[in-house]
Amino acid sequence: MEDMAKIAFGFYTLIILSGSLLAVGAKSLVRAMVGLIATLLGVAGMYMLLNAQFLALMQILIYVGAVCVLIFFAIMLTRADSGGEEAESAPLRQNLLALTAVLSVGGILGWLVMTRPLVTTGVPVEVAIEKLGLGLLGPYGLAFELISVVLLVSMAGAVLLAWERRNGK
Amino acid sequence: MSAIPAELLHIIIGLVAVAASVGLIGLVMVWVERKVAGHIQRRPGPFEVGPSGVLQPLCDALKLVGKQLFMPTGADPILFWLAPVLAFLPVLLLFLPLPVGDGLQALDVNLGLLLILAFSGLAVLSVLLAGWASNNKYGLLGAARAVAQSVAYEIPLLLSVLAVAFVAGSLDLAQVVKGQGTWPWNWNIMTQPLAFLIYFVSALGETNRAPFDLPEAESELTAGFHTEYSGMGFGLFFLAEYANMVVVCSVATALFLGGWQGPVLPGPVWFVLKVSALMLLMVFARWTYPRVRFDQLLVINWKWLLPLAVANLLLTAFFVKLTQLS
Repeated sequence: MEDMAKIAFGFYTLIILSGSLLAVGAKSLVRAMVGLIATLLGVAGMYMLLNAQFLALMQILIYVGAVCVLIFFAIMLTRADSGGEEAESAPLRQNLLALTAVLSVGGILGWLVMTRPLVTTGVPVEVAIEKLGLGLLGPYGLAFELISVVLLVSMAGAVLLAWERRNGK
Repeated sequence: MSAIPAELLHIIIGLVAVAASVGLIGLVMVWVERKVAGHIQRRPGPFEVGPSGVLQPLCDALKLVGKQLFMPTGADPILFWLAPVLAFLPVLLLFLPLPVGDGLQALDVNLGLLLILAFSGLAVLSVLLAGWASNNKYGLLGAARAVAQSVAYEIPLLLSVLAVAFVAGSLDLAQVVKGQGTWPWNWNIMTQPLAFLIYFVSALGETNRAPFDLPEAESELTAGFHTEYSGMGFGLFFLAEYANMVVVCSVATALFLGGWQGPVLPGPVWFVLKVSALMLLMVFARWTYPRVRFDQLLVINWKWLLPLAVANLLLTAFFVKLTQLS
């Protein structure tokens, strides 16, 4: 089973990496979104490997099923075609800077992972949903509520922006 | 031979059974739908091929397989062919956690309900990609309608399912079925009639069935998102629609109608009977009601289904807490 887990890990990593490359590099916005979806599905697979099935399914339900669909809606409303103003490839300097940014984060994470000792090698245990729910409303209640405030602010902000535009007309 | 783990074997057998039954159900449903449509409109429906025309869908399927696959110029080739595959593949997964009988389940997971809800969201994505990649204005309009519709109808659907999950205390479909009794008055539909109604209406909206079939409204949009698909490209969308209907009806059966529980007859028979009855109801609804206008569609959802579903959920939570206290 351990070999299967390793194969699955490699497979999901490949999906995540190629999906995110497509999301960043694709000319067409819709193709970029498909790359994003692939990445999110790969992350869901990683959650599955960690035995966090609830989290994996929520990832698919919310990010793939709702957020990406809304992003698609926005793409369709703006009619962004591949001949738009940001369609031509970026200058070399910008590409180099982007590469440095990626490598610095990846390098720090990789260095940390390689040098620190392993905390655990055990097989992850599945946490029941009841436990998750009680945890979110008990010891982690404040963080949970704060996240909901962030969501509320972004929603109210979107409404406010649309409102001002409408009144200014 | 012991190299293959038993669970893997279980899932593979389940997948093969599901794939075979999806094809068969598709054929039967096409025939049933055309017959029902015919009789409702006072015409015989298909009757030439085989007794009462039962072999007609088989001929149609063979014709579809044999047809040439076209792609319009200016279409996005990868996304264009990805869309029908993406429409059909997740459907096979949706069948796995359905409890057909006592212990008769391809994949025994304790989050089965969530699995179905999560992967059914991919269906919308395939509709979007199909509509966008076709490079066709009707396709794009169909896709735009599909987004607004499915995003809206998913919310009351989830809320009504959640109300049942509150009562049953589990997201495992097998557990939900076990929590209900043999007789109709022991089923969840008696305690959650409103949730059942909301679920059924939203399910019609989610599966793009008439009267909510606006993404493919043929009188306005030619064929909506699948205008440009020929042969099996269209065939896969078609098959996925019927398979989605079966999944939606099976979930409704398991959640509200006691699943495989019933007197005298064995479990799987009851399950198939209840699912067939719900499917027939969906077919009747399609040929009885005219298609709603798009603003009406959204008004039904946001002004009626959603507030009712929220009220139902709050009441359910209240009563569940009350019974726990006493």
